[in-house]
Amino acid sequence: MKKAYEFICRIEGVIAQVTLFVMVVLVCVAGFMRTLGHPINWAVDMATFLFAWCCFFSADIAWRNDKLIIVDAFIKWLPEKAKWYIRMIHYFIIVIFLAYLIVFGSWLSYTTRARTFQGIPGFSYTWVTLSLPVGAILLLITTVLKIRRELAGGANALRQRSEEAGY
Amino acid sequence: MLLVIIAFMTLLFTGMPVAFAIGIAGALFFPQHLELPLTIPVQLTVTQTQNFALLAIPMFIAAGNLMNETGITDRLLKLASVLTGHMRGGLAQVVVVLELLLGGVTGSCIADASMQARMLGPEMIKRGYGKGFISAIIANASLITIMIPPGIGVILYGTVGNISIGRLFAAGIIPGLMMTVTLMMAVSYFAKKRGYLPEREKRASAGEIFKASLSGIWALLFPVMLLVCLRFGIFTPSEVGSFAAVYAIAVGLLAYRELTWQNFKRALEGSVVDTGGVMFLIALSAIFSYGIVWERLPEVISNFMLGISSSPTVILLVIIAVLLVAGMFVDGAVLILMLTPIFLPVALKLGLDPVHFGIIFVLAITIGNVTPPVGSAMYAVCTILDVSVEEFIRDAILFILAIAVVNVLIIWLPQTVLWLPDLIFGK
Amino acid sequence: SKAQSGQGGTAKQEEAKKQYVLKFNHVLGPSEPYHEAFLKWAKNVEEKTNGGLKIEVYHSSQLGLEEDIIEQIRQGANVGQNTDSARLGNYVPEIAVMNAPYFVQSLDEVAKLKELPTVKAWMEKLDKEYGLKVLSFNWVQGYRHFLTNKPIKTPEDLKGLRIRTPGAPIWQESVRALGATPVALPFGEVYPGIQQKVIDGAELVYMNVNGGQLYEVAKYMSETKHIMLINFEVISSKFFNSLPPEYQKVLVEECDKAGMEVSKQIMEKYEKEAKEQVKAKGLTIIEDVDMEAFQKAGEKAYEALKLTEVRDKIYGELGKK
Ligand code: NA
Ligand code: NA
Repeated sequence: MKKAYEFICRIEGVIAQVTLFVMVVLVCVAGFMRTLGHPINWAVDMATFLFAWCCFFSADIAWRNDKLIIVDAFIKWLPEKAKWYIRMIHYFIIVIFLAYLIVFGSWLSYTTRARTFQGIPGFSYTWVTLSLPVGAILLLITTVLKIRRELAGGANALRQRSEEAGY
Repeated sequence: MLLVIIAFMTLLFTGMPVAFAIGIAGALFFPQHLELPLTIPVQLTVTQTQNFALLAIPMFIAAGNLMNETGITDRLLKLASVLTGHMRGGLAQVVVVLELLLGGVTGSCIADASMQARMLGPEMIKRGYGKGFISAIIANASLITIMIPPGIGVILYGTVGNISIGRLFAAGIIPGLMMTVTLMMAVSYFAKKRGYLPEREKRASAGEIFKASLSGIWALLFPVMLLVCLRFGIFTPSEVGSFAAVYAIAVGLLAYRELTWQNFKRALEGSVVDTGGVMFLIALSAIFSYGIVWERLPEVISNFMLGISSSPTVILLVIIAVLLVAGMFVDGAVLILMLTPIFLPVALKLGLDPVHFGIIFVLAITIGNVTPPVGSAMYAVCTILDVSVEEFIRDAILFILAIAVVNVLIIWLPQTVLWLPDLIFGK
Repeated sequence: SKAQSGQGGTAKQEEAKKQYVLKFNHVLGPSEPYHEAFLKWAKNVEEKTNGGLKIEVYHSSQLGLEEDIIEQIRQGANVGQNTDSARLGNYVPEIAVMNAPYFVQSLDEVAKLKELPTVKAWMEKLDKEYGLKVLSFNWVQGYRHFLTNKPIKTPEDLKGLRIRTPGAPIWQESVRALGATPVALPFGEVYPGIQQKVIDGAELVYMNVNGGQLYEVAKYMSETKHIMLINFEVISSKFFNSLPPEYQKVLVEECDKAGMEVSKQIMEKYEKEAKEQVKAKGLTIIEDVDMEAFQKAGEKAYEALKLTEVRDKIYGELGKK
């Protein structure tokens, strides 16, 4: 189970990096080719398509590494325990939100299948929309793991505190 | 919409990641409007990633990371030390000047700020500058690009308001330079107050400068190359970041030979984390602004505020106040589209020149990028440098004031805006 | 919501009636004739329904991306969008033919289109299968011409020129057929794009040139008249069917009327005015264009997209050629 998750994380990282690099190369080459009079119109389309996937995979990587910014000025003076409860409430809300993105994202991916991506025949916009629910599934896994860690940590901390208090 | 704003503030101030806070609060608008499909928030988030202009953000982030790994940043910093080392806060001055150069190439402050934060931020931290100070100057300096052509904000205003974009472009140059000057003054003041010491005792000799320039020639050529690519029509301002990244790779491989597979992978890994942190927030913030546009809040508030007084000075101050407050919550482009048709006729009635008003208007909206609770450039820099928003704000106030001074000065001195376009295009 | 309250009708019993709000989005700026026309449509509908149906118009795409709005419409949202046949062609491919070079050449022809059995069947399909109710396509934006930095008189003159056009295949193929190299860029990038020579020009109507200040960066407008751009006013079938029948009637009739009116004004007045304005700003107008050569070149677009048969069918029903 743990191995499988590590594998998913590796794949996710590789996809995010490769899409980012390909985006850069595509846009750069497209610029030069356009100047030479042979514009590759699909290049920029492909770059924005990859952008969607890169964004949401990267978002999960940032979330896993605690790189999403927070405003902590108003809570940092709270006792640890209060902060722990607030964090758990937040995780709970985030789980609901991500579940919502997964459900409605999948539904939209399904209903939007007639819409073409940039008018390219045979290339459904579904492939773009799908990036969000897929990204949200990864974000959800990350969040659940965070909750599990916190619960374990929180239980440990509570046990520790009760031990210190002499119970 | 009230519920949305209250929810946002609550989640934000209790320390939920800003990206989630903004998306979740924004999504609360939809259950209140059952006529709207619940899939719209999904659509809005995805559409942000299909925005051509936002594509510049990952490109410049990648460029910043690659320059760090290929030795360009090192040499640029060495040169910067030689040139500005005798000044207090020399590196912060470099940030401002570099932004002025970048301003002539790019149109988006978030992309510029992200790149500078990634390139210069870590080194500045090493050299003892405060984190709040670094992030504040990088984010505020990035606003210069909005005034120096090409700038997306000015194009939007000109298109919606039917105003000459050529004139507007020319009109932004002097205010852009004024921002550079006031920000540099604020930097010196700050550096003195904070006791940042100069890195060296006296100015570098000509020989030293020459040596550093020579070793840093590829780094120096970087903004020049970008400008050449733009002027020769190879790239649009939104695309030029891709060249910046490819240039860094080429220099790292061919000139400095410092780029290894290991470095390259590290640069990409870093870029992905930065992109995720910055773009996820920007993508989800589209959900939040939707309700504001749907209910036409800026329009409603503006019309109400404009009814307060008929004195031209008061009206102009009201306009600025509305823009600053609205800019706290809504992205600049949306505000320009919504408010140009409302404020421009008022400004014309007051006898203001439309080009003059446009620069005042766009600059005031631009400040919103660095003010909480919703400020993309602020969050981008804070995300990349791991700086708390609180630290940022504490040090940003002075720089925001420095820009606000320019905003007031150009109201009083219309010639600072109009002289250049009049010179180029005639009256 | 706020928009619905305070909009009571004149009589008391009206207030008890259910009120409807339609939020209508378009990509054009607030100074374009279309915006004025949408506002007029909104006013007339509100008056004729005694405030029971209110239309709020959003310019400059404030409500969102055109393609996104169309998807929202399909899901039954109370939004509307001014769109073109290239986008509707995503759903019913044959409709794209209305966006091809020299498809129709006068307002009369456009007015006749909606009576044709084939076109009626397309609209029916959009309505029944995709939930897209086309209120009217009496809306014509005028003739599209080439805006460049060199005069264009024959298709050969376009050779090698990178011309900005919307991204859909019908646009790309049309521009390619006429001799140029199509480049897809957002409209906002056209000004700096021409200025910095990222592109050599664009193809658009006179009002766009004026609105986008494009005479500042380009020298010539060559009147190729290659597309007479028909626009479609689309709302949700679900929303439309939820309206009382008399509201439905008013909504469609007033839309047709406003569209016809503004199209006439554009063809007879605004286009000429905009032309005079851009001329005064220094744009050179090329009028002696080899129309025959361009029309012949335009054929290739129909062939490339396999629309020749569809066009011939429509022309047959129109009694043309
Ligand atoms: Na700029
Ligand atoms: Na702000």
